[in-house]
Amino acid sequence: MKKDSTIEDSLLIKKAQDGNEGAFNFLMTKYYPRVYASLYSFTKSKEDSEDLAQQTFIKVWQQIATFRGDSAFFTWVYRIAINLAKNHFVSSSYKKDKINVSTSDTDFDIPSYTNPEQDLMHYESLDKIKRYVDKLPEPLKTAFTLRESEGKSYEEISIITETPIGTVRSRIFRARENILTYISEDLLDG
Amino acid sequence: MDNIEEKISALYDGELGDTEVDEVLLMIENDINLQNKLSKYALISSAVRQQKNNVQSITSSRRSKKFNFWVSNSITAAATVLITFFAINQFDLNRMGEDLSAKNQINIAVNSKEAKDTANRAEENLVDHVMEVINNQPNDNMTSYNVDLRNVGYTRTSPNSRTYNKGNKNFILRIEKNNLGIKKVRNWQHKDKMIYVVPMQDGKVLTLYGNIDQKSALEIANSINIK
Repeated sequence: MKKDSTIEDSLLIKKAQDGNEGAFNFLMTKYYPRVYASLYSFTKSKEDSEDLAQQTFIKVWQQIATFRGDSAFFTWVYRIAINLAKNHFVSSSYKKDKINVSTSDTDFDIPSYTNPEQDLMHYESLDKIKRYVDKLPEPLKTAFTLRESEGKSYEEISIITETPIGTVRSRIFRARENILTYISEDLLDG
Repeated sequence: MDNIEEKISALYDGELGDTEVDEVLLMIENDINLQNKLSKYALISSAVRQQKNNVQSITSSRRSKKFNFWVSNSITAAATVLITFFAINQFDLNRMGEDLSAKNQINIAVNSKEAKDTANRAEENLVDHVMEVINNQPNDNMTSYNVDLRNVGYTRTSPNSRTYNKGNKNFILRIEKNNLGIKKVRNWQHKDKMIYVVPMQDGKVLTLYGNIDQKSALEIANSINIK
């Protein structure tokens, strides 16, 4: 059974609701890439996405006491982010990096889109990340993939792989560290 | 150090006991390297789970102006190490056990909750729709159809394709079940392409996206019984 983000983060959410900024910072650091990515897919603008992400986090902090767990935590954060993005689009103050409007019956604009060269570069990078995962020693790769791709809990991975939970925790940690090492080595190789 | 980093990894996965969480949070709060480590774990996680057709580059160099989150500093450091990280699909909710229908429910909930009035809501829907068209993302609201445009001189690029052409004119045709709240033809320019959104008599909406002028678009729309 997959863990949703509310169950997964329940301790941190509770602490953040009690005013623990450290817990909140942890949650936001964890979800920043996904929030940013969601916003980027709407705005196609790095600067706008960063600004909107900041606004999202501020709003989440202001409203986290009202989160009751009716939806997954990330879904709740996502709603806030996308509402901000939508308001951003319809705002008359949104003027930069837009398409041209050529007819009189148009009353909102669309941000410019990515170019093919960028896409190619990203596909290459994506393949690299996949290769990093493939390079992992089998036990680490299995534990990491079950966790990140399948969303399995440590207990479930422990049962599947017939290893103690402590070993699962260690393997996932070492998998992450190995991937970071592969990335660093690639950068050094140039 | 490995021990605290392993604990951060476990806390990231929601697998750390209550008694250890406070200890880890305190250590992270006072150590920029640990904050960076956490943000790198988050970047890897996003990269691994992202979908290939939604890959985008992100290199962050700006810092938070308004709020002192760890992330405002650590995300920049992490990005310089990773060079790029990968934008997950905006609707990548699979990990939480959600699916495309949930995506639509969320959108509906978002719209009904946040829209100030009907007009604003219609505009938001239209923004969503145009963004989907540009991103070439079919949605659950699209109808399956088989439109023959040979009577106005356009042929499909392949038997089941949504792309039609005639000479140097070509466009993608979509038909949505929902009228998106529009009552008249709307159009936009995106780079060298045009987007025409046309309400149909039966409540559906026709969308043409491509290298096509307004006169041709309306001729095509009229040929398939458009209001």
